[in-house]
Amino acid sequence: MKRFECQQCGFVYDEAEGWPEEDIAPGTKWDDIPDDWTCPDCGAAKADFVMVEL
Amino acid sequence: MTSRTVIIGAGVAGVSAAAALRAAGYEGSIHLVGDEPELPYRRPPVSKEIIRGDKAADEIRIKKAEWFTEKDITLLTGRSALSIDVETRTVDLDDGQRLGFDQLLVATGGRARSPWHAKRIRTLRSLADVPQLRDELTAGAAVLIVGAGLIGSEIAASARGMGCAVTLLETAELPLPRLLPPELGAMYVDLHRSEGTELHTGVTVESIDDADDGTTVVRAVDGRTWTAQVVVVAVGMQPNVELAAAAGIDLADASDGGGILVDAHGRTSSDGVFAAGDVANQPRPVLGGRHRVEHWQGAQNHGTAVGKVMAGGSDAFEEVPWCWSDQYGFNLQVAGWPSASHDLVVHGSIADRDFIAYLVDGGVVRGAVSIGRPRDVRAAREWIASGAMLDDMIPVNVVP
Repeated sequence: MKRFECQQCGFVYDEAEGWPEEDIAPGTKWDDIPDDWTCPDCGAAKADFVMVEL
Repeated sequence: MTSRTVIIGAGVAGVSAAAALRAAGYEGSIHLVGDEPELPYRRPPVSKEIIRGDKAADEIRIKKAEWFTEKDITLLTGRSALSIDVETRTVDLDDGQRLGFDQLLVATGGRARSPWHAKRIRTLRSLADVPQLRDELTAGAAVLIVGAGLIGSEIAASARGMGCAVTLLETAELPLPRLLPPELGAMYVDLHRSEGTELHTGVTVESIDDADDGTTVVRAVDGRTWTAQVVVVAVGMQPNVELAAAAGIDLADASDGGGILVDAHGRTSSDGVFAAGDVANQPRPVLGGRHRVEHWQGAQNHGTAVGKVMAGGSDAFEEVPWCWSDQYGFNLQVAGWPSASHDLVVHGSIADRDFIAYLVDGGVVRGAVSIGRPRDVRAAREWIASGAMLDDMIPVNVVP
């Protein structure tokens, strides 16, 4: 399970937790999230996220 | 009969509320009415990627068209609400439709203020404002921007990036006066100037007039004048309260920021009528009093919170304001309520534009300003929300 951080606002998407508020189930791989998904906090594009070690 | 929800305003607050209603299992009807002609979009890129031409309108949609169908949300774009009747519980639209409601959300946002009326004055708030202004922002064009708040500063940076000769005027002594303490406002003086923007602060504009030769003349109260091919006025927004006011819904005092008065759950003075986003004047968390927030994330999250309440939830909205701005490639973030009276504790280097500054009042973190350290700002937002003492947080959480 990996984590991805929004470079604009610092929001972290954690594959283990998913993002249930937008029907993204826990365990959803980053690659399986649609390319037009945007940061829930700031609206940045998926492309503005980078993988992080936290 | 099933419940009927009408949402006036299809900006991020309105769309987020609709999404939250459905996410919470609300099964009634939802009509979402927007006066702009197109699918709801994210407004922050308008003064950045969109005006520069780096992104197309279809790349900034909040949701795809199919999403509204899937969620059974009736999206009525290009339609204005003319009136709200809280007795008969109806909203009249300009296409002749009358929508009945059991609960109503007023999320009408605001419009750009412009106290001057020359023909060639531009403002920038909506996608509809973009084509004409972008055509005018040609390389070498003399562009004058009135107001060095967030929008004016971002337009200045965008126009510089497009090769325009940019003059930026600000009434206050420093740019971003409502947002930044003086030490950090001074950093933006340096940034604008080093990027070639001609910034004049302490300038109060008296008049803006069309000249016969096709230029526009801007005159300050101290007698100085500037001539430009393009004048953009960016002196803030005015909340769209007229519909609510005409319906007898209570407004907030101008001294508190104006707007529609709501409680911590987004309820207005009228039963079953809610307000959210830029137009809503809310109780201010942590510090007390009231405020009206004009930032993207605040509108989004307030819309979500009020949508949950409309679906039967009971959580109050108590979020610390937070915003960001991209100028000349630097990502500024501001959280909480920075004030000139606060002590500034800086980690990193302001000169290198890589820092977080904590705004501290009697040891308590009240605000944070950062360039390039989003993760630290995220932590600071929680400290501000909990009224934490900076000294208790720094040793364990932050490497200076």
